[in-house]
Amino acid sequence: MTLQTQNIWNGRIGTVTIGADRAHGGTRTLQYTLGGEQDLAAVGPGATQQRPLIAAEICDDPGIWSPIVNTFMGDTVNDTAGWAGTMESEYHPDIVRLHLTSTRKRNFKDFSGIPETVSGVLKSTGLPLIIEGSNDPSIDSEVYQKCGEASSGERVLLGTAEAGRYRSIAAAAMAYNHCIIAQSPIDINLAKQLNILLKEIGVPYDRILIDPYTGALGYGFEYSYSVMERIRYAALKGDQDLAMTMISAAPDSLNIREVREARDDETDRTAATWEFYTAFSAVIAGASIVCVRHPLAIPLLKSAIDSIWPHSAGREA
Amino acid sequence: MPTVTFLPGFRKVVAEPGSTILEAAQKAGLHMNVVCGAQGKCGKCSVYVKSGTFDFDREKYGTFFSAEDLDSGACLACQAYVTDDISVFIPENSIIQEQKILIEALGLETVFNPAVWKYYLELAPPTLDDPSPDLSRLLFGIEKYGGPKEGMIYVPLEVIRRIPKVMRDSGWKITATVTLVPGGYRLIDVEKGNTLDRIYGVAVDLGTTTVVVYLRSLVNGEVLGVASNYNHQISCGEDILSRVNYARKGGLQKLQKLAVDSINTAITSAANVAGIDREDIYEVVVAGNTIMTHILMEIDPAYMIEEPYVPVVRRYLTSAARRVGLEVQEDAGIFIFPAVSDYIGGDIVADILASGMAESEDVSLLIDIGTNFEVVLGNRDWMFSCAGAAGPALEGGEVRFGMRANPGAIEQISLDLVSLTPAYRTINHTRPKGICGSGLIDLLAELLRACIIDRTGRINTQIAHERIRYGTRFPEFVIAWKDDTDIGKDIVITENDIKNLIMSKASVLAACSTLMNQAGISRDEISHIYFSGAFGNYINKENAIIIGLIPEVPGERISTIGNGAIEGANIALLNRKKRKELDEIAKRIAYIELNAEPSFMDEYTKSTFLPHTDLSLFPMVEEMLNECRIRRG
Repeated sequence: MTLQTQNIWNGRIGTVTIGADRAHGGTRTLQYTLGGEQDLAAVGPGATQQRPLIAAEICDDPGIWSPIVNTFMGDTVNDTAGWAGTMESEYHPDIVRLHLTSTRKRNFKDFSGIPETVSGVLKSTGLPLIIEGSNDPSIDSEVYQKCGEASSGERVLLGTAEAGRYRSIAAAAMAYNHCIIAQSPIDINLAKQLNILLKEIGVPYDRILIDPYTGALGYGFEYSYSVMERIRYAALKGDQDLAMTMISAAPDSLNIREVREARDDETDRTAATWEFYTAFSAVIAGASIVCVRHPLAIPLLKSAIDSIWPHSAGREA
Repeated sequence: MPTVTFLPGFRKVVAEPGSTILEAAQKAGLHMNVVCGAQGKCGKCSVYVKSGTFDFDREKYGTFFSAEDLDSGACLACQAYVTDDISVFIPENSIIQEQKILIEALGLETVFNPAVWKYYLELAPPTLDDPSPDLSRLLFGIEKYGGPKEGMIYVPLEVIRRIPKVMRDSGWKITATVTLVPGGYRLIDVEKGNTLDRIYGVAVDLGTTTVVVYLRSLVNGEVLGVASNYNHQISCGEDILSRVNYARKGGLQKLQKLAVDSINTAITSAANVAGIDREDIYEVVVAGNTIMTHILMEIDPAYMIEEPYVPVVRRYLTSAARRVGLEVQEDAGIFIFPAVSDYIGGDIVADILASGMAESEDVSLLIDIGTNFEVVLGNRDWMFSCAGAAGPALEGGEVRFGMRANPGAIEQISLDLVSLTPAYRTINHTRPKGICGSGLIDLLAELLRACIIDRTGRINTQIAHERIRYGTRFPEFVIAWKDDTDIGKDIVITENDIKNLIMSKASVLAACSTLMNQAGISRDEISHIYFSGAFGNYINKENAIIIGLIPEVPGERISTIGNGAIEGANIALLNRKKRKELDEIAKRIAYIELNAEPSFMDEYTKSTFLPHTDLSLFPMVEEMLNECRIRRG
């Protein structure tokens, strides 16, 4: 079901390919080409609309992760590769997003552990991957180099570049032919500026996804929604510097008061529901990839997305 | 009561116990840098207590100093309290230096038509047949010599009292001085003999930071003397808001006195240069921002800085100079320029007058940059204006080695694009002490050109070069090695300095864009950009465009009108007809409140990029950046 409107736009969202199957030099069971939209999400001629993708988030150090997810998953969280496999086989997301939370620890030195973790996950799941590296400029360079190298040929999506630190991640993406998440703090102009910065050091626009930063529903989400909408309007009006696919993740959804204070037997349902509503709203605002942490949010999202996008465009099997 | 001895001059002063070292210094006539208005925030008033005890919260305010400095008595003068006899060393940097103030002769052209003039009268003495009173004799004499009708001239009591003696002592040969006042004329002086050639007027630019005075003959308009000095109010806070706050705390009278002192000092030196007597100065014309003119007239400025931001007066003001405290002829008049709003003051109206934009069909953009900036866009039919805070970065504040345009300041700089070696010029050609605003604009443009910074101003620390390094808190670029400087330290610019500069320039550019959007004017339609103020005179126009301080227009459309405030004041002094236009100009200008303008924030964020997020608005810069990138590979 899509609303029919007259196509009043003259711009088009650029395409980006994530994942590389065997035919394209990788080992993924499938790859996605996103973008190409010529209208708002869920509006306009359905054929041009891409079905949004669901990314299941996991991490390599559950010490810095939502206790709700840890409890729900049990021991699985201590085996990163196994966790990735379980997500794929039991909850059927479209993408796995691996957070290297271990690098967030003070004085992180275990650079040799990164390739191990990454190849483990690549072996246990055939889905395309998003890899989230460090957020400390002093180790970024080495971390992203290792991430990029270990996933070489798989065309992963590397996260996350910001205006203050984008050179290391861009260097890794260019050296190993990966894509980049470019995150800016809920502002259309800052989003545009970051894309320009990346372009100016040589990252082509078909390798960039915009993350406009998403606040949890009820906790600032409306700002994110509005910025996503404005970014999409600008792109459809022809602004090439903003004509990229958007990715949205609202990890704060699992930390908000309503989830924290839910009755014990309601915790999982509340957490998953909150993630679902936040993510689905982001889909309506134009996000092509939405990321969730609670596994139960995935089936909720799938059925909601199915109701609007019955076909599975974007998937190149 | 404790005695404070200030070194190196050994100036002594008795201080109230519990007063700050800063207050003691002010009492001793030493004017120190107080950028933050004595709040302990700027660290510019550093002093060293060499002996004696004092109170200073090292925890709270010690961050400006190293432990070594603190142990040798370093403290902030504004936060250190005198408890006992002390001796205090004031480093040169903490004292307000003589500043480069714009006082070049002006190439102004206006009709000579002053508002005050003299008549030399040879009158017949009274007789039994002609017993008309002295005053009537005088006034009819003026009428007979071509002056206004007797009934149109008002004569103050003080002048009447002088008349009988002056007339008789001079053998009925006297000089009468008449001035134009609302609704008629006023006789302001009678003198013995012929003093026709001794009539002078003064044009004043009363700035927040500096005072400039032009002394002119009102016989022929010739400039006889020019003088300038700091606004003495600086010791009560550097920026305009801190002055208003000072006034609110009961300091209005003190500020008023300091303003008048500043003008009097400048008038005295101009009069000395000209070799004339201040008693022969018959008129003073003052252009200043709204808050300065309110303070000068001792009108409470407090309501201008709180919602809904209303000044007490907007129209032009006239009064007797003596009532304000100016040391000129006792019945001399004072004329104060009208204002548009609390933020667009008489100085800007003077700028507009000086630029001539109010008479032209072409659209002009007038920019006056200081700590606060004002922008006016328009032509003879319409005008929009706005004002905002640019922050002190463009004047050297909030920049680690930033300084005012004092001797030793780097005022021009260029980088060798291959070796990255800077070439710079300092004011007075001394070894560098820091960088002033024009130097900072050059530096920012050069760093961008050399690809050392990206368009957000972040330093590319991946470039292996000895001048690019991590400082204590931020990456930095070394401009001068310590052996080449006058301060024994490397002079650097940090990433944080650059961030502050970009925020400053972004607010100016965003203000220009907001006015252009309001008026529906594109950059191609702007025929002239006028820079007013000292700042505009020294900056490199091309670099100002490269960093996106102003919209990109062809270089030949940009000109500086120098100190437009003093120029406008001079025009109004010499040509009374122009004074009438001032109120009309002031009324015609629509004031746009940027805070209430939703698009301003958007424009601001777009402008926090070098030169702007949308490069198509800066085609020349785009071309330059492409060349730079190709060169750097």
